Amino acid sequence: MSNEKNKTAKLFAVINMITVMAVLLGGAAYMLILPHETVAEDENRKLASFPDFSAENYIDGSFTGGIADYFDDTVPMRGDIKRFIASDISPLRGRKYGGDEDGAELYGIAFEHKKTAPTIVTTTAAVTQPDVTHTTVSSSGSVSTTTTSVPVQVEEPAAEGGEINSNILVVNKRGLPLYPGGDVQGYADTINEYKQKLGNVNVWSMVVPTAGGLYMPSNYKSLAVDEKNDLDEIAKSLKGAVAVDAFTVLAEHKSEEIYARTDHHWLALGAYYASKAFTEAAGLPFKDLSSYEELHLHDYLGTFYGYTQSASLLNNPEEFVYYRPKNDVTVTQYDTAFRDPLDVALLVPSGNMTPSGYYYVFGMDDRIAHVHTNTGNGRKLVIFKDSYGNALLPFLTYSFEDIYLCDMRYFDLNAISFIKQVKATDVLFSMCTFSATGPNLSCLKANLYK
Amino acid sequence: MVFSRLFFIYIFLPLCLSAYFIARGTNAKNNVLIFFSLVFYAWGEPVYIFLMLFSAAVNYLAGRLIGRFGDSGKSRLTAGIAIFTDIALLGVFKYSGFIMENINSLFSASLPVPDIRLPIGISFYTFQTISYVVDCLWETVTPQKSFRKFLLYISLFPQLVAGPIVRYSTIEKEIEQRHSSVTDISYGLNRVILGLAKKVIIADQLSTVADSLLGGIENATAAAAWAGAAVYALQIYFDFSGYSDIAIGLGRVFGFHFDENFRHPFMCKDITEFWQRWHISLGTFFRDYLLYVPIFGKRRKYGGLFLVWLCTGIWHGASWNFVIWGLYYGLFIFIETLIGKKRMKRIPLVIRHIYSKAVIIVGFGIFYFEDLGKLGTFFRKLFSTGHLIGLQDKILLMNNLYLLILAVILSFPIISGIQKLSGRFCTVRTVSSLTLPFVSAALLLLSSVMLVDQTSHPFLYFRF
Repeated sequence: MSNEKNKTAKLFAVINMITVMAVLLGGAAYMLILPHETVAEDENRKLASFPDFSAENYIDGSFTGGIADYFDDTVPMRGDIKRFIASDISPLRGRKYGGDEDGAELYGIAFEHKKTAPTIVTTTAAVTQPDVTHTTVSSSGSVSTTTTSVPVQVEEPAAEGGEINSNILVVNKRGLPLYPGGDVQGYADTINEYKQKLGNVNVWSMVVPTAGGLYMPSNYKSLAVDEKNDLDEIAKSLKGAVAVDAFTVLAEHKSEEIYARTDHHWLALGAYYASKAFTEAAGLPFKDLSSYEELHLHDYLGTFYGYTQSASLLNNPEEFVYYRPKNDVTVTQYDTAFRDPLDVALLVPSGNMTPSGYYYVFGMDDRIAHVHTNTGNGRKLVIFKDSYGNALLPFLTYSFEDIYLCDMRYFDLNAISFIKQVKATDVLFSMCTFSATGPNLSCLKANLYK
Repeated sequence: MVFSRLFFIYIFLPLCLSAYFIARGTNAKNNVLIFFSLVFYAWGEPVYIFLMLFSAAVNYLAGRLIGRFGDSGKSRLTAGIAIFTDIALLGVFKYSGFIMENINSLFSASLPVPDIRLPIGISFYTFQTISYVVDCLWETVTPQKSFRKFLLYISLFPQLVAGPIVRYSTIEKEIEQRHSSVTDISYGLNRVILGLAKKVIIADQLSTVADSLLGGIENATAAAAWAGAAVYALQIYFDFSGYSDIAIGLGRVFGFHFDENFRHPFMCKDITEFWQRWHISLGTFFRDYLLYVPIFGKRRKYGGLFLVWLCTGIWHGASWNFVIWGLYYGLFIFIETLIGKKRMKRIPLVIRHIYSKAVIIVGFGIFYFEDLGKLGTFFRKLFSTGHLIGLQDKILLMNNLYLLILAVILSFPIISGIQKLSGRFCTVRTVSSLTLPFVSAALLLLSSVMLVDQTSHPFLYFRF
């Protein structure tokens, strides 16, 4: 009987051993024989390549480590596997908070008790709020300030359920970055210093809220610091420089597709409304959307999906709409020290754009772009921006004769000397709240003293 | 190289297994294992492999000399020199930066702080070499005459970089002669897969929860502090015990029988028992080689106890939080020793469980925060009464509810329970034997696809 038991146990052991070895050897064949992936479109990056051998690479471990990275990173059908995990495995970790379909998921850390958010009165109707300052500049460049009434933000209704990833709340099939607050006064002081050094040049500050500032359901507002509050603080602290109130304009249009749901950027339509507010404040001409050719990217999945791998985003890709101006423009690209000019297109050809690429304008951050238009009004604009600023460029081509687009993070010149060198009449600082008050602020400061 | 990488699982391991089982005889199999072990180590440490070889050579030589000198002062001197060399290597490569930083801060000096990258696995193989030399001195093992075989003991890749700390006596005979039966190979492969699944499917997923709860400790609620430390305790358990499972499983495939390193530690009723179930190979190392070092005279029982826990703490890392962590456990074990086993048993079981889990959870909080400022904040948050639970805590816990329940359930001896039932009931045995290959294959495949999905998290104990 015991012998029989041993024989059966041995038989099962053999079956188990063969099964596991078959998976191991099958996996080895899969890794070695099938073609490896080269690009991760969801993550908007090239995958690891097989490392080049050198004695130095070998000694520091990067050669052998690179081989392992290559095999791990370029697994055949990687994209399909990742999507399978996102849609079928990751949701098994738990439940969405507050509901199954439109519930909340949290990714990373929220900032719930960092700062007491002001009490917000939930309302369904626009009400007026007095004493909001608007400043306008005539086409000749003189600045005047008026006080008007503007509608306050209509509160986003409470959502049923949610998720959190990488300091991101996913709720209602939309990723919302959780703003941690930052050095509001430091940003205002820096812009004031620019204004002081630039004298007669018009200095504009248009800090753009993230989707979190506009679309956060009322019952999750406590997870992040209030962006509107910080924007108001910045506006109050500017001296000489003029704040453009993008928040109010965007809030008025929040029912339209002005922010990506699956990406941390705004969409071209949001940039359009913000550009309109800026040019109105600057007293410059502005063309409506009929002057642009509308272009589409289908099934767009942006950075929020890359960060969170949330099934809510994966299963609800969006339509990415952007616009090409119909006027003639020439675009020259320079390196970060304004050298090595190269003629390029304003918009990246759609064939060269990955499905998840936000960088439809100009294609990158780490180059300076000079756009010359046929406006002929003598107004020259320098924009210091983060990636949000790229989207403004097409909509300013009817308003300025020359536009210099500089990313504050990739700029190797003294900003003041550069502005004077190109004889700018206007300087616009446009970036999202995270960049203005967060770590990128140091770049803005450093550019004053390079 | 890390076990939880596709390159290891599907390239290195099949190659190593193929070569090992093609080789005939223990001698040839040993050569295959040494070759693959050196490749495994050199893959991540092409330079520090020479440090490991140097350490192996010194201790091999010490063992030979001790064997020649017999029970004499020369043997003790040789052992002393070898142990001093081992500790000096560990001191230079692991603690020199920490020591210099503290000297600078204590005396307001500005001495240069060496920036030395920690050689992988040095804490583990150094303790193996020390145990070997001491065992040779105490004549509990026969010094190995073959450097090749001694090198196999030190470099054996399953346990080289993150333990368990295998005593030479454990595998002394198997180095000379061993056999892997079909049952051994099957068991070993299943154990490897179990360890991989514990690491990839549970520990790596728990890490995002623990980091979310503890990462913003300044804004955390009391619930986040407690829950974060508890989740971190589970994460470390599944991470480290997963690694030990892989090591034990690979060892078994190759015919070695390593001792268990974890025995469901969260089942403990007090802290003394916790340490009898957690990282057993480290605990027994200190018990056997340090606890009764006669440097505290009549008070050696308590002096030795605190020395052991100071060393346990600092072994885990060159940072003050690890020192505090070690002494924290030492303090509770000291208190339990004072109370005595009999009186401890008289305390109601529920209270003992609550007490032990609370101490363990706070302990892992200490382990998490290397920054002492944040550690202080963590302690304040544990006992803060302002805002007990926040919205983010609720969302995170709900988003990971099933994962957390699974982790808690699997920290209990479920598998050994099934094995016991299998021994008792024929139906259970048949069903479990029939389903085991499919479960193993499914877990291996699931772990693999999850590895595709995530950046590889190195095992936490790689840093020790």
